[in-house]
Amino acid sequence: MQSSGILVFVETSGGAARATALELFGAAAAVQAVLGPVTALVVGHGIAPAVEQVAALGPDRVLVVDDPHCAHPVAAVMARAVLTAWDVVQPALTLLPSTTLGRDVAALVAARHGVPHFADIVALDVTSEQFVATRPVYQSKLLTTVRASRTRPAVATIRAGTYRVPEPRGQQARVEDLAVAFSPADQRARVTRMVEKPRGQVDLENAPVVVVGGRGVGGPEGFAQLAELAELLGGALGCTRAVSDLGWRPHAEQIGQTGKQVRPRLYLGVGVSGAVQHTVGMQGSETIVVINRDPNAPLVKMADFALIADWNEVVPRLIARLRERRGR
Amino acid sequence: MKIVVLLKEVPDPNAVRYDPRLGDLVPGIQRVANEYDLYALEAALRLREQVGGEVVVASVGPARDALNRALAMGADRAVTLEGEALPGDAWTTARALVAWLQREQPDVIWCGQETSDSGTGNVGPAVAAQLDLPLVSNVVGWEFRDRVFEIEREIEDGHQFQEVAPPVVLCALSALPQPRLPTLRGIMDARRKPVERLTAADLGLSDDALQPLVQWEGLSQPVAKAAGVVVQDVPPDEAVERLLTFLESRGLLG
Repeated sequence: MQSSGILVFVETSGGAARATALELFGAAAAVQAVLGPVTALVVGHGIAPAVEQVAALGPDRVLVVDDPHCAHPVAAVMARAVLTAWDVVQPALTLLPSTTLGRDVAALVAARHGVPHFADIVALDVTSEQFVATRPVYQSKLLTTVRASRTRPAVATIRAGTYRVPEPRGQQARVEDLAVAFSPADQRARVTRMVEKPRGQVDLENAPVVVVGGRGVGGPEGFAQLAELAELLGGALGCTRAVSDLGWRPHAEQIGQTGKQVRPRLYLGVGVSGAVQHTVGMQGSETIVVINRDPNAPLVKMADFALIADWNEVVPRLIARLRERRGR
Repeated sequence: MKIVVLLKEVPDPNAVRYDPRLGDLVPGIQRVANEYDLYALEAALRLREQVGGEVVVASVGPARDALNRALAMGADRAVTLEGEALPGDAWTTARALVAWLQREQPDVIWCGQETSDSGTGNVGPAVAAQLDLPLVSNVVGWEFRDRVFEIEREIEDGHQFQEVAPPVVLCALSALPQPRLPTLRGIMDARRKPVERLTAADLGLSDDALQPLVQWEGLSQPVAKAAGVVVQDVPPDEAVERLLTFLESRGLLG
């Protein structure tokens, strides 16, 4: 018999749900007519705010694992929580955010059950016969379609920005605690410490706006202005490989082939020429804006709006105007 | 210590071009070792230099050039798992690797975080799940002391440090030390190193066990965007106003 229903894994950070995890409810809504009820699984420690956020979105059921074992994102521990919820719900489809944790957990859970994991997908369709997913391949240069029969359940991780968070509903969902037995094997990898990002900094891969500086910025000093611009636009700061290789910015901010893949609503490139090694990491961006002196830079051809100018002349003005608008 | 590195040969990511008529990559793109896998290999070689033992590189599907490169960099021996059903999908690949790894019983399995072609990142975790080993992904630094790894990981909220003892599966990112270049001596030595070819049958795997879970279809190009606005030779103040108007019109100023 075909299983039914959707299990949504809500990843939390600092007690709140990650935005990408809330977007999963948009994905669930799109396939709910075929697959049936939506069960949310909220996992972490001290996650009352996340539970409230999720319950307001109106899933049919909310399972909560609020446990000190889950204080840190560790794949095996979170996978145990998902496997336990799986036994309770017997879902046809399990959705996770395409984050570092989500992808690890999805792959572990799928392998335990011998079912497919559609990794990092940008579209999902489900019929009574099959799952059909679209996913970027070749470092997001190309797309492909992946199919699997509905004779088995499936797991999918969904790329940030693919679906919108649904509007909160009037009624609150039923909330239940889920008891999970963590085995010593689940705790073989143990978190010893965490070096957090500076506060107020938006997580690059999930940021709605990404401001990126390239070699054309000319040195590490210019990035202070770009960071301010990113903050004013409610986004995160990124860089190209040239910039991180030169040591102007840390590797963690690098976007492209050997760095992060981003797909923000707005990508703003400053002094970025647009080598393929970089563009594979950002070409899924919804709107691309470029500030560059060189009208022939490859990124200018990709841009929705290109400003051919010396960034030193426009970025300070842009910052001043945005500050005015924000009343600062 | 026995250290295994999982290596995949992929179309050179810098040469990947799409042929819309074929609905596929242009033919004849050179195949190279997946970049993250070479970072994994470099980490494995450094670990061997510290604690001794051997480094074995393994590939599912033919990967002659990539494995030769790995041997020239310093790996001790190479294994390819070949057969009609291979490489198949990530599940099939993992099944074949698991059957082989159960024979080898390595202490550490290093792999790249994901490949530059299909890039599912599924194989490392699937191997860990099937062998019931701990998995540590997104590795950007490591130390091995008193038989325990301290691993530095790059994750969304910052840098996380985990302690884990072998056996373990580790997935490498490119913030690790750069892969060494093969030396002339290394290239000469590589010719004398063993390369083992195993089929699914050698591993006791039936065709049934290697059935893929998913079917992949052809490739397509993301929809090209209409040409955008280019503002040139405009005084900076006016240029900034035009940019703000544009951002406003797209609802990007909140």
